[in-house]
Amino acid sequence: MKIIVCIKQVPAAASVRIDPVTLQLIREGVGSVINPFDYHALEAALALRETAGGEVTVLTMGPPKAETALREALALGADRAVLLTDRAFAGSDTWATAYLLSLAVRKLGGADLLLCGKQAIDGDTAQVGPQLAARLGIVQATGVSELRFVDGATLEVRRMLDGGGDLLRLRLPALLGVERDLNRPRVPTLPGYLRAVDRPVTVWSAAELNPDPALIGLAGSPTRVVSSRPAELPKRDTVLVRGSSADGAAAILRCWKPRKETI
Amino acid sequence: MPVKSSQNRSYKIQKVVYQIELPMVKHGTENLAARLGAFAEKYCRVIASDHVVSLTDNAMGQLAFQGHELLRELKLEVPEHRVMVHINTFHTPAHLHEILESCGGLGVRDLLIISGDGSVRLPKLRPADLGIGGEAVTSVELIAYIRKNFSGFFRLGAAFNQYEPPDHEHAKLIRKLEAGADFVITQPVIAPTAEIDELHRTLPVPLFLEAWMSPRIELLGECIGCQIASGSAFDPIEVLHRLETRYAGRSFYLALLNFAKQFELVVR
Amino acid sequence: MSNEQAHSGIWVPAEIRHGKITPATFELLGEAVRLAAANADKVTAVLWGGGLDPLIGELGRAGADRVIAIEDSRFDVFRDELQAETLAGLTGKYRPAIMLLQAGSLGRALAPRVAALCHTGLTADCTGLAIDPASGALLQTRPAFGGSLLATIRTNGCFPQMATVRPGVMRRIAAAKTVPPEVVRESAPADRWNGLKTVLAGFGREADEPSFDGAGAIVSGGRGLNGEGFALLRRFAELSGAAVGASRAAVDANRIGYPHQVGQTGRTVRPGLYVAFGISGQIQHLAGMQNCEVLVAVNTDPEAPLMKLADLAVVGDAGDILRQMINQFQTDGEGK
Repeated sequence: MKIIVCIKQVPAAASVRIDPVTLQLIREGVGSVINPFDYHALEAALALRETAGGEVTVLTMGPPKAETALREALALGADRAVLLTDRAFAGSDTWATAYLLSLAVRKLGGADLLLCGKQAIDGDTAQVGPQLAARLGIVQATGVSELRFVDGATLEVRRMLDGGGDLLRLRLPALLGVERDLNRPRVPTLPGYLRAVDRPVTVWSAAELNPDPALIGLAGSPTRVVSSRPAELPKRDTVLVRGSSADGAAAILRCWKPRKETI
Repeated sequence: MPVKSSQNRSYKIQKVVYQIELPMVKHGTENLAARLGAFAEKYCRVIASDHVVSLTDNAMGQLAFQGHELLRELKLEVPEHRVMVHINTFHTPAHLHEILESCGGLGVRDLLIISGDGSVRLPKLRPADLGIGGEAVTSVELIAYIRKNFSGFFRLGAAFNQYEPPDHEHAKLIRKLEAGADFVITQPVIAPTAEIDELHRTLPVPLFLEAWMSPRIELLGECIGCQIASGSAFDPIEVLHRLETRYAGRSFYLALLNFAKQFELVVR
Repeated sequence: MSNEQAHSGIWVPAEIRHGKITPATFELLGEAVRLAAANADKVTAVLWGGGLDPLIGELGRAGADRVIAIEDSRFDVFRDELQAETLAGLTGKYRPAIMLLQAGSLGRALAPRVAALCHTGLTADCTGLAIDPASGALLQTRPAFGGSLLATIRTNGCFPQMATVRPGVMRRIAAAKTVPPEVVRESAPADRWNGLKTVLAGFGREADEPSFDGAGAIVSGGRGLNGEGFALLRRFAELSGAAVGASRAAVDANRIGYPHQVGQTGRTVRPGLYVAFGISGQIQHLAGMQNCEVLVAVNTDPEAPLMKLADLAVVGDAGDILRQMINQFQTDGEGK
């Protein structure tokens, strides 16, 4: 089975600084990790390869240092790693990113299965997966919490919807967005890392992908950040209560009045 | 301290043997060969000086290579009772068994069992994984599990945090000893205290006192979560000698030992 | 993606669960009505599934000027690909300026697929929407980077400008609209996805899922509440009819399941009363509950961020206080 896992390198801390001019996030000086949800996607791919055989390619778009994320994926057991990097790609929103990823997927000759983590902790949007599926014209299932290999052309998945979910049978090719519940990702080993040291990483820039320049980068992104400010919280005047637990409980229970429905 | 010690454990303590905690090799491909070489070099220095190597398990939740992986890959010598491996509760059950069996196979006989620091990357052992009930798996349950499944094969150590509320920590220590802990290691001791005095006098199993070998005492404050009053500069070697005098006969566990500047001074 | 012809109208695709329109759909219609007032625009709800006629009136009363109804029982289950194509086709035909969808598992599957097909911009999990008076464009505000920043985003030159919003963030209109909506019947395109994806079974809400929608009060536990404390919390919730929430730390410590998690990577709630036991108040948690009407915090540490932010801050042991609350509630019958 030919599997492509899309990963993203994100800042290690959830809070980062914003460049006041471009309103893009400033990545230097902050440690980087693979987006936590993506480990579950990669684990699903590696487990499927163990069952079904085939090849796992890890694909990411980012600045040159995103290569360290790919090395970690290679250490975990991916067969091939591809980095899309170019100044022209910088500033791409999810639409432009999905466009570029789709070009890379086609250049790789397509895949039976594409896997993405549920959402990136820096953007929190969870959009690239379905946008990529739409561009490739393939079926999708997001919020996947269980996955079963049926045969080389069929998977069964359990996907979460609010208030429940579905059990789906999918004919490949398909794209899955996975939940944390899906699996417990393996931790890379020393032999894995030693093997990854010398493995080649394929790097593609605009020259190799040949995108329409009007559709990439800041200029090609339908959405644009116009302003950014630190979040503020509603102001409340705090009443502090110290004393016995009985006093505390009584004070809290005084707040318990019948609440009106929001109308 | 009133403790029921159900097993008669004899334990030879050699004179002036230090447990020396080594900085572990973090995950990553950058300079990997060089970093592994630096680790092996420190390891061999400690073994050649007849002290004990201590290998941590993803300390502070930072992913690093496991002790047994390094021993195996670098083909490091494991003299009897010269290598202590930490094991925490952040492993899958399969991985836990792989660690225990690998350690056993490599000749490691001493394990320090701690609850440990997790991270979003690290799986946590669940009670069902150990075939027990309860809310969560702490070092108590893990000690009991290893004792049950590898009965008598390993010497199991437990941690004692003298910076936590005393009643709470003493109750935990009793549970650890009842679960089968063979020895106890404290958190860094920077000055003699009544509590350490009492442990030294009454603990029925061997006690190892941790010494903070970095002059940066404020880092210790960050680790244990409370501010350390730093009046005059902290001289770790001077403090170590003072503690060794006060707690004669005890072995010391050295954290953050500087191999370039301190090793020759400390190691006799 | 044509922006030469004028785009107008605010669309709200309705979400239906167990045969009923979700509260968030009504909230989005309320917001659409408020946004439409800026440009004298019209609000259209899109409805799909079987047996739609009884629901059309509800959408009208909640603010829809028009309802586009696709009567097709294939849509009684969620069909990502076909619904996305249907919506994209309709936007091509009717050219709405703005489309608002409910953020959630379904919204996360549907909205991006529609945005890709329409070649337009989508901003997920918006906490604020406004019309820019100068350009008429939709200004979309959402938290970023763990909630520490608020970013305002615009979609440039692409239509419809799409945004998703979580339940509990917006409000439905105060008084029901009396004019019945215009009803337009449409149909879905040919189903080229037939057979590629089959629904084998649906499953309902897991036993453990809390009902935060419309909850009057939520009692919530954090790192400072141990296993025994959580049992007391659940007991009090049972007695008082409150819903049970949790911080991420409590979920990570296996004290309670993820459906109860409130915060940036969990649920957003907007109850009348939120009582937090042993929750320090990190910004990721605040992002999920800071707009509650009354905030009570219980902590042994009076300096914890949530204690500084609360209306009522009670210093004490959460477990002991919960025990007292249970006793007092039972004996005094308070709050009923």
